[in-house]
Amino acid sequence: MGVLRTWLLLLALGAIEVAASYLPIARGWRPIVMLPAVVMVYVVAAGFMELKKGAAINRTFAVAAVFWLLVLLVLGSADPLTRTDYLVPGVSRTN
Amino acid sequence: MASAVAHEFQFESAPHQASTAIAGMWLFLATEVLFFGGLFLCWIYARHANQAGFDAGARETALGIGTLNTVLLISSSAVYTAGVTFIRTGNVRRLIHCCLVTLLLGAGFIALKFGVEWREDFTQHLFPAAANFKITAPGLGGARLFYVFYFASTALHGLHMVIGLALLGWIMLRARRGDFSPQYHTPVHVVGLYWSFVDMVWLILYPLIYLVGRG
Repeated sequence: MGVLRTWLLLLALGAIEVAASYLPIARGWRPIVMLPAVVMVYVVAAGFMELKKGAAINRTFAVAAVFWLLVLLVLGSADPLTRTDYLVPGVSRTN
Repeated sequence: MASAVAHEFQFESAPHQASTAIAGMWLFLATEVLFFGGLFLCWIYARHANQAGFDAGARETALGIGTLNTVLLISSSAVYTAGVTFIRTGNVRRLIHCCLVTLLLGAGFIALKFGVEWREDFTQHLFPAAANFKITAPGLGGARLFYVFYFASTALHGLHMVIGLALLGWIMLRARRGDFSPQYHTPVHVVGLYWSFVDMVWLILYPLIYLVGRG
């Protein structure tokens, strides 16, 4: 993928991302607006950082980084995202 | 290392030394992913508990400046990658030009982020520790948390940008000195990896700050 094509693809994905942010998506589901950003990160790795062309050890480090990031995010958010909050009777939530 | 074929004693050849340096940078970037990962986890946790406040905070951000900065960073990575391509064919002059344009684009990002956007945020009482914080409606307490994330993440990213700008200047100076050739340009490649990583981090921060809470 040439530099110019990668740049144009990133700009197009950025435009899609901004447009998607104005869609009427429920508040809890709004993080899906991030999807084009995840694709953009891959495009930068493949296009600008030449991840596919380099040595296998480079790809191993990149995959390991994504793996451990997912472990961090999934295990770290599993409890808060699945916990049910019970309000104390007679006390209103202020924040 | 100015010579095209010279290498340190622990490597069997110059290409071996180059591939080791590049792999070393990838390993360093893997640790950086986890460094910023903690920040992203904070965003997930804090937004989940304070969605209305986070969205109210996001709506106060300067989307125009954030978007312009995204374009500047994407463009800077593209220009620097072109510079790496030029040095592979021995065009040192073009490499220096690309470094200069990348530096200017990066400096433009810093100027917009900290000289314009942050100043505007302070003027509008959006600093989370301010006594007269702007977003005070009931149920929007999370807006302060959003701005803690905003200032912390943009400051950390900005610090990485400043380090990247210094590295770009160093590459420019070495290129002017004639240190790089088609046979030896490992530092050019390694700094390019770092600069593109800084770009990547911003590509994630941009929707977290400006877009998710805006709709």
